[in-house]
Amino acid sequence: MKLSPDKRIDLRDVLDGLEDYRPRRKGWHWRTPAPDHKVGPFTYRNASEDLKNSVALPAAHAFGAIDPQCDFVITTEIASGRFEDDIRRMRMAAWHGADHLMVIRTTGQSHIDGLIEGTPEGIGGIPVTRKQLRATRKALDAMEDEVGRPINFHSYVSGLAGPEMAVLFSEEGVNGAHQDPQYNVLYRGINMHRSFVDAAEAKKVMADGGILQIDGAHNANATAKEAWKVTPELLVQHAINTAYSRAAGMAAENIALSTVPPTAPPAPKLRLDLPYAVALRDLFKGYRMRAQQNTRYVESDTTEATVTHVLDTLISRLAGADIQSTITPDEGRNIPWHYNTIAGTNTARQTLMGLDGLTDQVKLDMDGELPELAREIKERAILMMEEILDMGGYYAAVEAGQFVDSGHYPERHGDGIARDPAGGSGAGTVVKRAPRYGAPVCSHFGDNVFKDGDCKAYGGCSLCNPDKIRYVDELDPLDNVGERLKVPLDERDRGILRPEVERHGDGMVCVTLFVPAPPDVAEAAAIDMALHMNLKNPEVISKRVLHPAEGSVFEIKGVLDVYIDTAFLTLPTKVDLIPDADIEAWVRPRHIHAVAATVGEDEHSVGLREILNIKHGGVERFGLKCHDLGTSISVTRLLDEAERTGARVVLMSTIVTHADVHKKNMRRLADEATARGLRERLVLVAGGTQVTDEMAKECGLDAGFGRGTKGRDVGSFLVRELQRRGN
Amino acid sequence: MPSLDRPDDFQTRRAHLKDLSDDELHARFWDLANRIVQPLVAEARTHTTPAVERSVLLRMGFTGAEARDLVNGMQARGLLGCGAGKLVLVLANAHHLTVREAGLTLLEGRMWEELGV
Repeated sequence: MKLSPDKRIDLRDVLDGLEDYRPRRKGWHWRTPAPDHKVGPFTYRNASEDLKNSVALPAAHAFGAIDPQCDFVITTEIASGRFEDDIRRMRMAAWHGADHLMVIRTTGQSHIDGLIEGTPEGIGGIPVTRKQLRATRKALDAMEDEVGRPINFHSYVSGLAGPEMAVLFSEEGVNGAHQDPQYNVLYRGINMHRSFVDAAEAKKVMADGGILQIDGAHNANATAKEAWKVTPELLVQHAINTAYSRAAGMAAENIALSTVPPTAPPAPKLRLDLPYAVALRDLFKGYRMRAQQNTRYVESDTTEATVTHVLDTLISRLAGADIQSTITPDEGRNIPWHYNTIAGTNTARQTLMGLDGLTDQVKLDMDGELPELAREIKERAILMMEEILDMGGYYAAVEAGQFVDSGHYPERHGDGIARDPAGGSGAGTVVKRAPRYGAPVCSHFGDNVFKDGDCKAYGGCSLCNPDKIRYVDELDPLDNVGERLKVPLDERDRGILRPEVERHGDGMVCVTLFVPAPPDVAEAAAIDMALHMNLKNPEVISKRVLHPAEGSVFEIKGVLDVYIDTAFLTLPTKVDLIPDADIEAWVRPRHIHAVAATVGEDEHSVGLREILNIKHGGVERFGLKCHDLGTSISVTRLLDEAERTGARVVLMSTIVTHADVHKKNMRRLADEATARGLRERLVLVAGGTQVTDEMAKECGLDAGFGRGTKGRDVGSFLVRELQRRGN
Repeated sequence: MPSLDRPDDFQTRRAHLKDLSDDELHARFWDLANRIVQPLVAEARTHTTPAVERSVLLRMGFTGAEARDLVNGMQARGLLGCGAGKLVLVLANAHHLTVREAGLTLLEGRMWEELGV
């Protein structure tokens, strides 16, 4: 399957031939470092290789449209519930620099004692099945080719089916997975004996498949009442899972610690979070750091979330990390939307490019209080581990509520999560192996009369011989991707478009309203206004009081239940530009003069300079003789100069639009040029952020140019217009 | 066992740690971690679960649903401790069947009486 940047991914192609599809590689991929990497005008110190295709950061236009890539892997979590919609979002994320795409599992999959097949729809994530993994992997393989960088696919090896999930992941080319039996025990209520026995097998399979493991310690951050006090325990949880993984055969470089800076402003974030970051990296040298952004305090304000996430990413750069995982800024208010997934990804990308080379100039002060505070966290962690052993070991400590207590260890508040070692899902299912126990497959953990490779006797296990894998297509005749795609594919074929944030055709839009009234009145009014906009089921998803009496701002989501038939759209005609060399060849020998100015009471000068100035690729480079009169120039003066210089071209810039002054100035230019008998000789052009070609022509000018216009657009137009007029 | 409720007595408790060098402290940290997981690892080495056994059968070429039914049958007969994969392999060898044929025979409800012999 090959993707073309100008075409949407065809989900029929993705689903076609899945029964025979094999992943082309196994195991995790780190970015390829590019030391002292020159991109555009800059040399980067923390960069990796460039992408073949991408969407650059917004400010890139000022630096030659460069899109440098940082050295950290960037994670995006995707969780719409329909993998066919997730695939489209993954492609957008890959174009914005994400190379670790994490698929959240549907609610409740942890408690399903076995595998699910087919493509049923999920809630808050997808039911992870072989077909969904295979289809997604196939699409990701095509996306890798499109962006020119390997993409890591990730999901969860937890719950009651951990070992099977690990086998499935290894078979289907999943590159990373969460695996931490403590997560099962503390947060999923799964029996602890079962969780640990299952985990050893899962870890062994992951280890041999080169799958990167991410642990689950960060969940204590999100659960604890005062997250910054749980840092000693985080070290303990990391250590238990890490030591257990090593015992199961996992290499240090495939063990990533999931670490979240525990606080957010207005807490003194960096001062509180850095000692933990330092302690963790000191104790776990040789392991990988998966730095996650904080989700604990994210509610409805996306800007607030973004600022916290920038600070989290600053900590990653200062303390060091291997993966920067991202949280969408809307996670606190809904299942993440397409564009917020991209916004979260860009927060990491933009921040990390901005911090490039920082540690060559700024370092953590390891002579001050920082190492002392880090040491204190380590000592508290050690005291906790000593007490765990004194209590009789891990199971006894969990039973006593030792974990996720809100006290700053050794302080205890008695509010930890306590679990019964004999209880929970899957209790009583652990069986002692008989003396001649055997498992004739590779990557099996523990006592076994067989060894790796013995499977050759029966033609090889599925890890050696992928032909052994049994592919199941669909089990449910109604709840499957084929049924779900009928309407979307039909609409797509017919050129029907609807707005969407999460799933095809969901119709969801979000409007921002400021209402000048006290909060309660303002909110009721805002909802009413949304109804007047014909939004169905309007719901306030964010509100901020700007002043208790003067007003509040609301973001309201609702369904815009309309569709657009693209067959009836009128698109602006795209003009084929004359090549630069041809423009210059025509203009330069003719010694054509142009006068230019920002007219009216308007001090904006940047846009006009971009169009004129030779340094910015403006029309001067074609040999047009430009007379820039500057800003706040009257139309009369502009035309005076046109007469004085014998100009053929007038370039009028107009940015301010208050009371339609831009349109008035355009009309004035046309009218006055006509009144002075200059209209036939002069080509009249207006430009500005709110100007369109249609508007300029309505006002009597020859052309108008809006946002994003380059010198060659104007140059190409001028040549054609002057040629049309006979010279 | 009731959970604890205790003030922060870190300064008292840390007496035996405060004079350790950083390297000694780190070594102690990892020694404790390994001691905590040691009995857990030992249990995993000598025990199995339905999920572990299903994962073995997956690797031997069965679907998730087939593996589930086979393991449930073995569990009900108290045979899981022998290892699901080994049970199927031994049956296959005894009857000159492929592993898959042996598993499907069991799924048809036949030859269960021969397992674990």
